[in-house]
Amino acid sequence: MKLEIEQLSKRFTGNQYPAVDNITFSMQTHEILCFVGPSGCGKTTTLRLIAGLERPDQGIIRLDQRIISDMHTFVPPEKRNIGMVFQDHALFPHLSVFDNVAFGLQGLRKAEKKDRVSGLLELVGVEALAKRFPHVLSGGERQRVALARALAPEPALLLMDEPFSSLDAHLRLEVREQIRNILKASQSTVIFVTHDQEEALFMGDRLAVFNQGKLEQIGLPETIFHDSGSRFVAAFMGDSDFVRGTSVPAGFHTELGLLEQQNDYSPGTAVEIAIRADDIDFQLNQQGNGKIINRFFRGAFNFYRVELDSGAIVHVFKLHTEIYQPGERVLTYFNAGHPLKIFTL
Amino acid sequence: MLKTEALRSNRRRHTTSTPKIAYLAGMIALFAVIPVIYILIRALTGDPELWQRIIQTRLIKLFSNTLLLLLAVTTGTTLLGVSMAWLTERTDVPGRKIFRWLLALPLAIPPYVGAIIHLALLRPRGGLISQWLEELNIPSTFLPNPTGFWGAAFVLIIFSYPYVFLLSAAAFRSLNATYGEAARMLGRTPWQTFWQVTIPSIRPGITAGALLVSLDILAEYGTVALLRFETFSSAIFVQLAGRYDRSAASILSGVLILLALVILYGEFRIQGQAQFTQIGSQWRPAALIHLGKRRIWGFLALFFTVLVSFIIPVGLLVFWSTQGILDHQTFSGMQIGSKGLVSFIFNSVWSSGFAAILAVLFSIPIAIYVVRYPGKISRLFSRLSQVGYAIPGVVVALSLVMLVNRFLPFLYATSLVVVMAYVVRYIPQAVRSSESAMRQLSPSLEEASRLLKRNAFQTFVQVTLPLILPGLLAGSALVFLSSLKELPATLLLRPAGFETLAVRVWIWSEEGFYFQAAPAALLLVVIAIIPLFFLLRRESIFKQ
Repeated sequence: MKLEIEQLSKRFTGNQYPAVDNITFSMQTHEILCFVGPSGCGKTTTLRLIAGLERPDQGIIRLDQRIISDMHTFVPPEKRNIGMVFQDHALFPHLSVFDNVAFGLQGLRKAEKKDRVSGLLELVGVEALAKRFPHVLSGGERQRVALARALAPEPALLLMDEPFSSLDAHLRLEVREQIRNILKASQSTVIFVTHDQEEALFMGDRLAVFNQGKLEQIGLPETIFHDSGSRFVAAFMGDSDFVRGTSVPAGFHTELGLLEQQNDYSPGTAVEIAIRADDIDFQLNQQGNGKIINRFFRGAFNFYRVELDSGAIVHVFKLHTEIYQPGERVLTYFNAGHPLKIFTL
Repeated sequence: MLKTEALRSNRRRHTTSTPKIAYLAGMIALFAVIPVIYILIRALTGDPELWQRIIQTRLIKLFSNTLLLLLAVTTGTTLLGVSMAWLTERTDVPGRKIFRWLLALPLAIPPYVGAIIHLALLRPRGGLISQWLEELNIPSTFLPNPTGFWGAAFVLIIFSYPYVFLLSAAAFRSLNATYGEAARMLGRTPWQTFWQVTIPSIRPGITAGALLVSLDILAEYGTVALLRFETFSSAIFVQLAGRYDRSAASILSGVLILLALVILYGEFRIQGQAQFTQIGSQWRPAALIHLGKRRIWGFLALFFTVLVSFIIPVGLLVFWSTQGILDHQTFSGMQIGSKGLVSFIFNSVWSSGFAAILAVLFSIPIAIYVVRYPGKISRLFSRLSQVGYAIPGVVVALSLVMLVNRFLPFLYATSLVVVMAYVVRYIPQAVRSSESAMRQLSPSLEEASRLLKRNAFQTFVQVTLPLILPGLLAGSALVFLSSLKELPATLLLRPAGFETLAVRVWIWSEEGFYFQAAPAALLLVVIAIIPLFFLLRRESIFKQ
């Protein structure tokens, strides 16, 4: 294992709840692990604990089988061999692009340093900017220089703290693809923090979902999305809506009708069923079970918000040609074709 | 967005055990606060009979005089400073760019130099204006008495308004156009907008300026002494220099410091609220107000202010200096023993420069501690290191005389005590500059350096220091400027033969040798303009 974290906790003075609450996980070499969760969930604090920028209250951090932090040891950040790309990039404004990247290459001979920096600048595609200063660079260029600088000392582990949050939306899509290719080409082991679930699904080989200081679930992006381990993960990662139901031998009884699905619940158990917009459908029907309250035109499709008679809100995808007015009554029904995720109440 | 992020990560560091920098910061805060505490103790343990006598005979008069002057000068500088700032920042008055500079320049003229010129012009007998009038056979009796309350208030207003001018001009400048526009869209007239939106938004800037002026007025010695209006500062000076009565001086100083601490506390509160407005990426300056035909009045107001506060004083100094240098007898009078102007310049520059360097060096640990480890203790240290604002020069002198005598006798009557007084008195200015420089430095830069294998000290030298250096230089320029102009502490603490420009200007003018004093005064102003220019260039209103 490259990185092993055991029972890591941290509470800031003056706060009632711990920022990081008893977290355990490990990582493989060359893996990109994505920390994702709403703001204040503890993902950035965990990252800073690994970097050595904060001291944990308890727990063990091992990098390459060496303890870098536990109750007796605290290796300072400069001795951990960990690189970091900061949210604001933190390029040194008094140094040129070249000198920023060379900053982590102490002790190398001048020629070696030059080769290494040129190689990195080429890798991230900004070799023409070596003599420029950070303030004249565009957001995307700064992003890539910051990455080159962090990669320069060949860190055992690279940490990236919401590195795309300062970029414009359209630039973000372009940059993140480039960055992912660079990370894979350089065979880096990376922890990537983001609050954007779509970005997490794109960047991570695996995802770690955080909520209120706890690690809710860790796994492949597909698993997290299709087989969410908790209601929070289903809601946060999958944009799920929830309807209530009770278990019967053939499946679950709900206000959308019977969901036929094998289950081990004892009959009569109260459950919630996670539903995505593509799992259900509706037809206009005066005697239906809900009404349209809004339509959002998304170009290729229409996205309908439907209020069921119980008050529950669900969302439904329709083709862009299928237009109905808010207020119309509809009959909503299951249309998934695969098992849905069930959570007991 | 980035700013709040920076703040959050500043705050994150709470839990680490007491950092070493805290002890260093604590020692510096202690150094800064000892003189005040010592004086307060001396005052409180003073002889009750002496207290009784001072309360009965002196205190009410001194209190009313001091407060009256404070009130008049603060009101005057606020009115003058804010209107000048409004004219140059918010209207289309001609020449406003050059006036911004000219209005700030009186900061290079110590008020006592202004008072000397004021006297030289307006003295009932022998004053230049009275002489001209007599030559023209016009009776000069209608001229106002240049001394006393009104004289002192007038001189202090015209040489102190630039503080308020600079702070309120910066506040006007930072106001985003959208506030005014929003008020107009919500149905306010321009006049209502001015009073309900503009003025309340810049109020913290104005108040901070006015409180700093008040502290300066409490500390002012030269002007009130020359114009014979007795305040706490001049009374303490007389007790010390004339009667050698340290007990009475301590009691008066104790009362003065308490008064000043109340004002300083108010100023801290204002600083805490900080500004309402900030120049962000969305910032757009408000449209200028078109004065139309009234532009000429705006122009005349600006011109008259600059004329009285800068052109006349400097013009007269230049005129007298040429007269003095051309006149052989006066010129030889500028030598004191074997020492001449060069030696006064040297003494002024090295003592102020040394104080500036020390003050900035001392301010660095405080700034790092309070910015990177925010908390009750670090804020306390920062505030303690700033009590110098509330200790007038005469009180610093009194305190250091007694402290040095008692604990560091080998320093007694050396010029180092003078430097020490400057540091105690002006370290607050260095602390503020260094703190604001540190606050602008994102902690992620230092963290990035740590992760690129630099330890804490290497990070300070290679990343923090180069980036806060402009702020440190500004702090040292400010301390240099203030020390150069300092008068009462220098007069009381200087060893025999230690003559600075300020000291010489003062002694010659007290004896009435204005021609002789003029070149030294002019040099003082010229040397002061150098750091002032450097400082003003950093101000937002002088950037385009």
